[in-house]
Amino acid sequence: MSTAAGRLIRTELRLMTRDPLVLTFVFAFPVVTMLIIGGAFGTAPDPAFGNVNPAHWYVASYLTVVIAATGLVMLPVHLASYRERGVLRRFAAAGFPRWSFAIAQLVVGLLTTAVACALLLAVAAPVYGVPAVHDAWRVAVALPLGAVAFVSLGVLLGSLLPSARSAQAVGLLLFFPSFLLGAGGPPPHVMGSVVRQVAGPLPLTLLTNAVRAPWLGLGPATGSLIGVVVLAVAATAVAARRAAL
Amino acid sequence: MSETQVVTVRGLRKSYGTRVVVDDLDLDVPVGQIVGLIGANGAGKTTTVECIQGLRKPDSGRLSVLGFDPATQAAQLRPLVGSQLQQSALPDRLRVGEALELFGTSRARDGGELLEQFGLTARRRSVFSSLSGGERQRLFLVLALLNRPRLVILDELTQGLDPAARRNVWAAVRQLNDEGTTVLLVTHEMDEAEALCGRVVVMRAGHVLDAGAPAELVERHSGAVVIRFSRPDPPAALLDEISRLDGVQAVTRTGARVTVRGDRRIVAYVGAALVRWEPVPADLSVWLPSLEDALLGLLGQSDGEQAGTETRELIGGRR
Repeated sequence: MSTAAGRLIRTELRLMTRDPLVLTFVFAFPVVTMLIIGGAFGTAPDPAFGNVNPAHWYVASYLTVVIAATGLVMLPVHLASYRERGVLRRFAAAGFPRWSFAIAQLVVGLLTTAVACALLLAVAAPVYGVPAVHDAWRVAVALPLGAVAFVSLGVLLGSLLPSARSAQAVGLLLFFPSFLLGAGGPPPHVMGSVVRQVAGPLPLTLLTNAVRAPWLGLGPATGSLIGVVVLAVAATAVAARRAAL
Repeated sequence: MSETQVVTVRGLRKSYGTRVVVDDLDLDVPVGQIVGLIGANGAGKTTTVECIQGLRKPDSGRLSVLGFDPATQAAQLRPLVGSQLQQSALPDRLRVGEALELFGTSRARDGGELLEQFGLTARRRSVFSSLSGGERQRLFLVLALLNRPRLVILDELTQGLDPAARRNVWAAVRQLNDEGTTVLLVTHEMDEAEALCGRVVVMRAGHVLDAGAPAELVERHSGAVVIRFSRPDPPAALLDEISRLDGVQAVTRTGARVTVRGDRRIVAYVGAALVRWEPVPADLSVWLPSLEDALLGLLGQSDGEQAGTETRELIGGRR
């Protein structure tokens, strides 16, 4: 990888392995919370969970928590910190091609998501089991597109927010409500109507629906999938423009 | 690019909101020279070099750097320019050796030699956050020189370096220039500009105040002497006599405080006049500016009276 983007990807991956905060939030938080909440509702099929095993409901949901943690917390803080400290200026002044940094962040974000998702499934398998995938192609489309959408959102937030601290504050503010309403919290059936209406259009809710419903055989969730596609295209276009060196 | 100029700037203007930072600036950096850009904080030096590097887009003006327009051809230009930026950093956990891999292109020099030259060989496996301020500056210089640039822009080059390290860096810059690389140096340090630069451009409030070889600037701006003394209710005849002395440029009075400006001859003439008009003031002071003082005076910083808010009465004077 001797291209500028290749050198940036290799460096970013190397640096990530040295950053315990990244490892904690993206790799450990989803696994730990999945283990806790997956055990809270038992394993008997439940109408509140679309008549599926609640533990499986959460296993299928938590892959998107990994994606959201990467996109809403890890990347904005990382990028805002780079910009705040002048690292991006140094890359720009050194002649790194205009799009190389955005491409590197996209690749690193997607690789991080893939590894963290694999870890989550590896932990879930012996504890709750991994549910069978009913509609594999929809899941296979929704997951990478959702990852692209959230990684792009993360790059966009990181390019807009003025400092690492503000990125952390805004990122967490976006992440936790999204997490509770759209993926890791109670199922929509037990939410009040107002809360359900608020939760419905959130990006993480759309992505979780687009992954979980076809995975568990709860429906095609075409509307949610279209929402994820639109979000991925729009966020990528804006993020690439904003993150150009 | 003209054959003799690496950088040509005409009528550069850059504002941040309503604040004009660089206004109608012209600048030339000839091939093979070390040109110093000096001025106080806020003079617009860093903004100027950022426009030259294509890191900021000018509001107006014409720029040519190595034959490229930095605003529209930054991608072609930046690989030819080595930059040591005033405010920048590397990722905290990036090791020195890894920084060379990251920033090195196919044109890169032997990074090991550069680390050796700047005394960083022993720090090759150290992460950026563990480096001292001086080591970071030297690493930035290594990175600026790594890809055999045709123009090197050094912004506050020796900030944070101890005297020995400064001398090493100066020697490296001279060697680089001897090898044919053109250098644009932004600095606050007059001794640095004097030691390294063939030409110095003095900026204030976004404008070029003056430019020339350091020796020319010394000639042009040194020699102004300031004499101050206090005399309660000074006789008008005394002030009139002083204002008519040879070499006196200006006489100002603020209450009992009298200030006389002029060339070096006024030390003798004003002294003689004060002796005639006894008693000789007990607080008589004479200020003979050095080169640094002269340039700071040019920048409007050195003489507090220039920026003071006291009410002053101009008595007179002549050239």
